[in-house]
Amino acid sequence: MLFSAKMLGEIFTKLKQPAIIGEILAGVILGPTILGMLSPGTFEFLFPKNSEVNVAIDGITNIAVVLLLLVSGLEVDLAIVFRHRKTALSISVIGIIIPFVLGFCIAYLFPGLLGLVESQDRVVFALFIGTAIAISSLPVIAKILMDLKIFKSLIGSIIIASAMLNDLIGWIIFSVILGLIGANTHGFSFSETLLYTLSFIAFLLMVGRKLISKSISVIQEKLTFPGTVINFILILGFLGAAFTEYLGVHAILGAFMVGIAIGDSIHLKERTREILHQFITNIFAPLFFVSIGMKANFITNFNLGIVVVLLALAFIGKVAGCSIGARLGGLNKNESLAVGAGMSSSGAMGIIIGLIALQFGLINEEVFVGLVIMALITSIFSAPLMTYFLKEKEKTKFRNLVKEEFVILSNETEKRKVLSRLADVASKELKIEKAVILNAVLAREDILPTGIANYLAVPHAKIKIKHPFLSVAINKGGIDFEAADGTLSKIIVLLLTPENNNELQLQLLADIVAKFKDKEQVENLLAFNKHNEICEGLKKLV
Amino acid sequence: MFAKIGLAITFSPTGKALLKETVRLQHLFNSQVVLIHIGERNKESEELLVQTIKSAGVDADKYEVIWTEGDPASAIINSAKDAKVDLLVAGALEKEKMLKFFFGSVARKIMREFPASSLILKSPSVEPINFKKFFVSVDYSPRCERTIRTAFQFALKDNAEEFTVIRDFYMPGLTAALGEDKSIDELKSLIYQLKKEEEEKMKLFVQELDLKGLDVNIVCVYGKEGFEDSNYARNNDADIFAVTGPEQKMRFFDRFFQHDIEYSFEKLPSNLLIVR
Repeated sequence: MLFSAKMLGEIFTKLKQPAIIGEILAGVILGPTILGMLSPGTFEFLFPKNSEVNVAIDGITNIAVVLLLLVSGLEVDLAIVFRHRKTALSISVIGIIIPFVLGFCIAYLFPGLLGLVESQDRVVFALFIGTAIAISSLPVIAKILMDLKIFKSLIGSIIIASAMLNDLIGWIIFSVILGLIGANTHGFSFSETLLYTLSFIAFLLMVGRKLISKSISVIQEKLTFPGTVINFILILGFLGAAFTEYLGVHAILGAFMVGIAIGDSIHLKERTREILHQFITNIFAPLFFVSIGMKANFITNFNLGIVVVLLALAFIGKVAGCSIGARLGGLNKNESLAVGAGMSSSGAMGIIIGLIALQFGLINEEVFVGLVIMALITSIFSAPLMTYFLKEKEKTKFRNLVKEEFVILSNETEKRKVLSRLADVASKELKIEKAVILNAVLAREDILPTGIANYLAVPHAKIKIKHPFLSVAINKGGIDFEAADGTLSKIIVLLLTPENNNELQLQLLADIVAKFKDKEQVENLLAFNKHNEICEGLKKLV
Repeated sequence: MFAKIGLAITFSPTGKALLKETVRLQHLFNSQVVLIHIGERNKESEELLVQTIKSAGVDADKYEVIWTEGDPASAIINSAKDAKVDLLVAGALEKEKMLKFFFGSVARKIMREFPASSLILKSPSVEPINFKKFFVSVDYSPRCERTIRTAFQFALKDNAEEFTVIRDFYMPGLTAALGEDKSIDELKSLIYQLKKEEEEKMKLFVQELDLKGLDVNIVCVYGKEGFEDSNYARNNDADIFAVTGPEQKMRFFDRFFQHDIEYSFEKLPSNLLIVR
């Protein structure tokens, strides 16, 4: 199981796709879908039904899912949630309510669409579908933000905070539903289960966090690192999981909440987090996802209608819900839609919910297969959707700001004259008086000359504009901008950015400086004579 | 810079040390001093006050006294506000006991609620000396620009030897996002690269501020925002750690679920200058 999961997972990683697809595919191949059909004898030999082997596999997958939720909890940063609490609350609450209500209504009013059989409880089924639609996947969202290079930006932080809060609320709701169906075997009533669960959460978040943090500090300092602290985390995780399992709201909630309490500690070293993650992601996660692929026959249980309904619910419900929440939280239209797109991916979390629901008999295998496919498809498509809605942000990258009509060939020999020409170009485009632009740039030039190195100068200023603007002068003779390396500046990039947005100006300045770090590349660019060649060369700088 | 410096005056040894520190600042900034006394005004307390002020060396024609009663924290804050104090000085323990932290000591309330700048002194002395090492927490906001400039002017006036700007940043979920794609070493290398990029931005930011007269050191650390920079200042024996006061009022839940500046409020890394 592990070998096939890792092998296929690595292949998909090389194809720049989530490894989870490969791991589930490994399960599909090893399970009843392929191996079970092509060679039932081999399948029966490897995974005999109704035997201790099945018990062992179920045991390992249960441990795997507990560990997956433990590390998910570790990634929840309460500080960032609180920092963006208004917007994050708006996005996550509305981002759960709308898809949940949509999923519930469709499942309750049209249960046939989702394959509900007569004997099943319609309300519980609908509640579960609502939750499965409402959940999102933090690791998938974080990866998208990394790939789009907006992780550190304000919108990136808000999305991460919202995803964390979404996870937290989603898992609590799911646990409440399990409590409702009387999943516990210790005779607690629903209200008792709810009370104990909420008390447990409150204790962990209010008091437990502090105690755990202090313990981690002592353990890391005084005992063997990292072994003992890793053991400590796992022990607490399993204890928390055992407690909530006892209450009847499933082990995953306990593991997740303990993970949050531990992850919040200022003493927890990044190295500990990384080691734990590597260990769980590379051993237990593949085992878990392979077992998912083996749970059902993905061909005979594939129901296109169910898959389409679930996908439609997920995309419409989640994108609409989170977008509306983001708009109400103060983001603009495109940013809100990007938030909605990002949060629509349910990834591993959606699959885990499907598995538990299957185990409890809330859904049949067709719906389970539909949920797995929904989770994978939403994870694949949320990134390009986000990119599409964030294309406005792309416009603020250097390569997109460089336009042929704003690049001039200059033969001026004085700084002021070339700045005047560049200001002229800017003035015509921005419809702002040339003197305003020129004075702002010269004032900045007086503070500190803007010659950098490698023939580059970046005179700049913040003025009353909405979007950044850039014009470039290529002066083969070179002009003295007092560059640090003593070179005359032959590429003069005039950068104008909106007032009161230091971060944007810094980001662009850093981007431009980085582009011109390779002297050889710059010299090759300067060797071009034609205007269009120079423009292309500027855009292709890496 | 600070035209009016306020202090709640008491007659304890710490109170006298705080007064001496305030007098030093008065001379440094050529300021008016506003002394706020919480308690009953009677002949005895007036005499004691005059004596204390005289022995501390407060400029005779550059101070005023406000007599007020009631809850100390609210009375101090309101009186200072009414008197248009732009730097309120107070003493505080490095760390409060748990209940006091959550429910607020006088100094912590001042830190959270006073609408102008405040200087919280951990170990005031009756023989105060200048602050040699200044550390400033940086984000790139216009408000932070003001914090840096204020702290820099303070450092110049006080003949400081060291001025450091620190930025901490954190990317929660990074391990989860890249855990299956990258090895531990690759993750470390990525974080190192991100730190370098952030340092480049900081260099550009500091250049824009055009701070002359003292070298500015730039430090970038990866870790919990608000905690790492404070911890760095503490570990490097800062005399003053300057932060930008929060835009929104910090409430009870902000203490429970700490973030940003609350880490510094919980455990003072050094004397704390909160610029508003």
